[in-house]
Amino acid sequence: MESATVAVGHGHSEEHHGPPEANQSSRIDKQVLGILLFIVSEVMLFGAFFAAYFFLRVVVDPPSWPPEPYELPVAVAGINTAILISSSFTIHYALESIRRGNRAGLKLGLVLTWLLGATFLFIQVNEYVHIGFSARDLAFGSIFYGLTGLHGAHVFVGLLLLSFASIRAFRGHFGPKAEDHLGVEVPGIYWHFVDVMWIIVYVTVYIL
Amino acid sequence: MSLNEGAVFKWVVIVGIAAGVVIAVTLVTSQLVGALVGLAVVIAGCVYGFRWARRKRRAS
Repeated sequence: MESATVAVGHGHSEEHHGPPEANQSSRIDKQVLGILLFIVSEVMLFGAFFAAYFFLRVVVDPPSWPPEPYELPVAVAGINTAILISSSFTIHYALESIRRGNRAGLKLGLVLTWLLGATFLFIQVNEYVHIGFSARDLAFGSIFYGLTGLHGAHVFVGLLLLSFASIRAFRGHFGPKAEDHLGVEVPGIYWHFVDVMWIIVYVTVYIL
Repeated sequence: MSLNEGAVFKWVVIVGIAAGVVIAVTLVTSQLVGALVGLAVVIAGCVYGFRWARRKRRAS
């Protein structure tokens, strides 16, 4: 298919191929707007899982939660929560560093965030191995693995994004100007979302 | 209105503190009281968010 050709400027020979440039708001980058809209859709996805959880917990109202003889490792998950919250601070440190032009701080922050995220995921997988029930054990098992697994998948995607950002940081990409470090800013926003979702999952599933 | 990583990080801290309060209340009292406090925190957050959005819309 032939692409549309739009002449740029008045009588300039330079031509722009493809569709016209999209309107750009002066208040928010299109990449940031994109990730925020994506997060809104993700909130709805988590909302569906929470709706199922609360239906089982409140409407079905079993005699005990978690059902006998199952137990949730609240302390281990609490430590895991602390690890994930720490990773939000390290990604924020990475971004603050690059805003000040500190490339070493950016690399350190990204690597620390990746390591903390990987530790979180490792502990969660270890928890699954030792927890003593599977997704096939009652609706409780299904919703537990559904909610925590959905979140774990998001952590995995976040780690992939952080890997790309880290590789680019070590190859000398990114700069102090806002438009020069969007490749860290966007994964950073996503990582904060993953962190907030885990705080909600932990409080809802493990504590309440 | 600034919608960047810094603004989102602020919300991580706010949600973290709110969750800490709910966890502390639940551990000290009971799950029911914790759930009620959690519900109150969520409602307060929604009201604050709604007012913030309305204020920003008027300002722009």
